Amino acid sequence: MKTNPKLIGQSVPRLDAPQKVTGQAIYTDDIKLPGMLYCKMLTSPLPHARIKRIDVSKARALPGVKDVIIGEDTPKVKYGNWRLVPESQDELPLAVDKVRFVGDEVAAVAALDPEIAEKAISLIEVEYEELPALYTVEDSIADGAPLIHEESKGNVSLVRKINYGDVDGSFASAHYVREDTFRVHAVQHAYMEPCASIAAPDEGGRVTLWTSTQTPYIVQCLLASTLGIPENHVRVMKVAVGGGFGGKMELRPWEFCCAFMALRTGRPVKFLWSRKEDLSFGRRRHGMTLYSKIAFAKDGKLIAKDFQVLLDGGAYNAMGPTATFLCGTFGNMAYRLPAYRYFGRHVYTNKPPASAMRGFGAPQAYFAMESQFSMAAEEMGFDPIDLRIINAMEEGDVIPEVATVSTCGFKESLEKVRELSGWDEKRKNRQPGHGLGISAYSFISGGVFNWFNTKYNFSAAEVRVYDDGTAHLFSMACDIGQGPDTVLRQILAADLGLSIDKVRLTAMDTAQTPKADLGSWGSRVTLMNGNAILEATKKIKEMLIPVLFAEFDLNQIQDLAFEDDHIFVKSNPKKRMSFAQAVYKALRGRRGEPLVAQGYYTPRNKGLVSPAFSFGAQVAEVTVDQDTGLVKVDKIYTAHDCGVPINKKAVEGQLEGAIQMGLGYTLSEQFVMKDGRTLNSTFLDYKVPTALDMPPSESVEVETYEPEGPFGAKEAGEGLAIPTAAAIGHAVYEATGYRCKDLPITPEKVLRGLGKLK
Amino acid sequence: MSLAHFEVHQPTSLAQALDLLSAHRADARVLCGGTDLVPKLKAGVIAIGHLISLKRVPELDHVSFSPDQGLVIGGAARLSDVAEAPGVAENYPGLAHACSVMATTQIRHMGTVAGNIANAAPSGDTAAPLLVHDAVINVVGPGGRRSIPLADFFAGPGASVLDSLEIIETITAPAPQKPCGSQYLRLSARSLVDIAAVGVAALIALDGAGRVNRCRLAMAAVAPTPRRCPEAEALLEGKTPDAGLIAAAAQALSAASCPIDDVRSSAAYRQQMVGVLARRALEHSLKLAQGGAQ
Ligand SMILES: Cc1cc2nc3c(=O)[nH]c(=O)nc-3n(C[C@H](O)[C@H](O)[C@H](O)COP(=O)(O)OP(=O)(O)OC[C@H]3O[C@@H](n4cnc5c(N)ncnc54)[C@H](O)[C@@H]3O)c2cc1C
Repeated sequence: MKTNPKLIGQSVPRLDAPQKVTGQAIYTDDIKLPGMLYCKMLTSPLPHARIKRIDVSKARALPGVKDVIIGEDTPKVKYGNWRLVPESQDELPLAVDKVRFVGDEVAAVAALDPEIAEKAISLIEVEYEELPALYTVEDSIADGAPLIHEESKGNVSLVRKINYGDVDGSFASAHYVREDTFRVHAVQHAYMEPCASIAAPDEGGRVTLWTSTQTPYIVQCLLASTLGIPENHVRVMKVAVGGGFGGKMELRPWEFCCAFMALRTGRPVKFLWSRKEDLSFGRRRHGMTLYSKIAFAKDGKLIAKDFQVLLDGGAYNAMGPTATFLCGTFGNMAYRLPAYRYFGRHVYTNKPPASAMRGFGAPQAYFAMESQFSMAAEEMGFDPIDLRIINAMEEGDVIPEVATVSTCGFKESLEKVRELSGWDEKRKNRQPGHGLGISAYSFISGGVFNWFNTKYNFSAAEVRVYDDGTAHLFSMACDIGQGPDTVLRQILAADLGLSIDKVRLTAMDTAQTPKADLGSWGSRVTLMNGNAILEATKKIKEMLIPVLFAEFDLNQIQDLAFEDDHIFVKSNPKKRMSFAQAVYKALRGRRGEPLVAQGYYTPRNKGLVSPAFSFGAQVAEVTVDQDTGLVKVDKIYTAHDCGVPINKKAVEGQLEGAIQMGLGYTLSEQFVMKDGRTLNSTFLDYKVPTALDMPPSESVEVETYEPEGPFGAKEAGEGLAIPTAAAIGHAVYEATGYRCKDLPITPEKVLRGLGKLK
Repeated sequence: MSLAHFEVHQPTSLAQALDLLSAHRADARVLCGGTDLVPKLKAGVIAIGHLISLKRVPELDHVSFSPDQGLVIGGAARLSDVAEAPGVAENYPGLAHACSVMATTQIRHMGTVAGNIANAAPSGDTAAPLLVHDAVINVVGPGGRRSIPLADFFAGPGASVLDSLEIIETITAPAPQKPCGSQYLRLSARSLVDIAAVGVAALIALDGAGRVNRCRLAMAAVAPTPRRCPEAEALLEGKTPDAGLIAAAAQALSAASCPIDDVRSSAAYRQQMVGVLARRALEHSLKLAQGGAQ
């Protein structure tokens, strides 16, 4: 393993924390601009209907209303994140002809205050012709089902197939085969900051947008195309973002409407969603029906898998195509699998669109796979951890048609979690109502597949250094709460040997930061932006090295170290110069030309999916109340390989947050829907676990040094959110005998499963 | 949603508060912790021009227990004050439990027992434990004072017999006759910070011969109002308690509940859980009364 600079692997406190905890951080809704108008949107009350007539005259006549727009007023350019496949771009900022879910945006108003805007919305008259609506994937793909999008084939918007090896032959000759159908439900990101935007007109028909997003570059491009103006006319700006988890990674209607009306009225326009609207209409994780058939040889080797998935996409594609692709990829990650067939279909229904959500198809795919591994282990007489170890990937393994795994701490993770949780001992002394369950995962460190069809590198950084010993990082990477504002500065500071407080950051401003960055998703930021920074700092070093060589008359076989805000000769540290002094001399030598360097990163020769893979295993320990069906998670144990953790505290934070989301996904969160309407649209009834519900947790990091990652790093963002559901599911089975194949595991399901409730 | 405009009055005596209420009549509401009222104002569920805050009325800010007076909870006493007041945990453990686990730390330091009762939510957490202690709601209004047994106080979901010009001055409960045990159990899907899907309180007092001379059972969140169940109580009163009788009383309570299907739980589950919680609460109360486990 390589030795890293001191700053790498430390628990550097989050640099944005003081501002956030003292309320100084500026979020989108905190911004107030002179002359600002307030935007409200009219949404469809019906799940599926044809728009026959819209009359906005009364709204327009209301004093204080400055603009009212409907679809017909706009350029009507369809958009969607999959620019590579234009047919997949199925959304319009405001509905034209048809509405497809309760919440589909129909009109927008800009007024002097929110109350007037609200009133104006209520004055808009829309005449609908109601159409039959579809709420399940099964109904949507049935013969003769009405089409939600006329262009789609039977409501299927995207199909992904993978097929290699002799799947059917392997099933025929297998020692053990099982098939199961799993159903997983939609849940929501429940980010702390509801969606919000504010757009201000700039001179020359340009527009600036502050918005709560995790993909400023994507918003810039799609906003420009939907407005019909050059990309360079749109500036998307940095604000503090209160979480995204995948729910804020597309252009959204209010971003368009604020910008469009700002340009029309010449005044800034602000929009804010209420929590109720966010919960009712916001993006969700895909509910799925997953059929999986797996086969093992007598020695426990997995030999084939047939995986068929229907993704409940809701009314539009959103990030569904990516989830459809990745779900298939996760179906054969983590374990060696010689024969695999995947058939994934993304299906429209008349519900709020599903999109990316922490794990991007993985929590669902692994719930199926890991549940099956535990069931198969029991029936074949293997210890569930042993069966996983028998099949675990190793360094150098190839995921067919996808990638080569260059580092892999999977087996170690499985062994470590066995030890940490007291697995063997506790399984020997089982107590009724008490159980231990295991689940594992592998995840990507950023994606390779260029669905956005960007012309630019996937990540970019610009580094400037000054003769006061400071540096300035320009990066489009966005910190949505997960910590890159700290981690990226840590990487920069570590490589140039600066203390971290010397690094100033300008982030997420599409008019100033180098092009491009695809955003915060797919656990890509640390690896990709870290690499871009290291390319830039390398260039900066090359500008400074000659200064010391000249100053100390060094032989070219000498090497320099950058540490403690100084640069010195490795073999003779007395020959040293402060970083500031070196920059000063370099500036003189360059006759005043500033020291600026750019770096870029795009994964190359890394297959189709990801440049690097994380691995991990988790054990859940639960107690189930046999009379009430309540599941209490007593403790969570995790061992994982995220490469080199750049910031230990940040990794820990990701793990804690992942457990919290996993708990909600598994036990308490679900949408109660009736006729396409969401009935539980408050946090009173949409039950996100709170701090008090968090079980204690223990974890170990299995460090590997990933050659493709900055200082050996991989990812720790999304992977950790994957295993909890199957681990708890397995533990509940061990405790009660009830095996849940349809999340969430509610007390009622447990009792029904045990035959104790009619 | 932005708050509609209203005026907040901060009277410093009970008399002033009553005058203000009478002056603004239908357009006024008593405000205590505001933890029920403010969310409703924000959601536009109610619109009110005047809020009469009781937070600075010294006559209402007290909690006390004595063997003669029993429990006296002032109309502005906070949930957290009640949970911690001397004598409450020993004599009214169910109430102390409710006041220390319901809602969140922050809410318990704002919200009041009187507010919880006046709000009259079917799921209100302090109601069932107060019901098993035969609590009385003492109110004061323009016409003077009156006392209403809690068992007669609720009129339906969100409704009570309290007149809009009246203020709850105290909530009282007699000192429990010893030996006695009681408990309040609540169940919710999210386990901790959550509204109860089912709440059950039990009380058992024994005579010298170990027979039950008083039994109380009350339930919350499983009927239009929190309520007692005399039929179930009668199954134990006068008897020497045993597992069979306890099961029968629990079953009777469950049968008397009439929960609904809603986004929180199904009716069938709730009804069954009334029985489970009742059995547990009765067993625990009996043990306490018998001087057993604490
Ligand atoms: C996040 C959250 C969690 C909660 N969790 C729970 C829970 O787990 N269990 C539960 O039972 N409740 C819960 N609540 C509801 C609420 O906190 C309680 O009901 C609390 O006890 C109300 O007291 P308050 O003083 O805040 O009432 P307020 O909101 O001030 O008043 C409520 C009602 O009572 C009236 N009122 C108040 N005091 C008097 C008085 N002295 N005389 C006459 N009328 C009066 C008011 O006019 C109003 O109609 C929760 C609320 C929130 C916001």
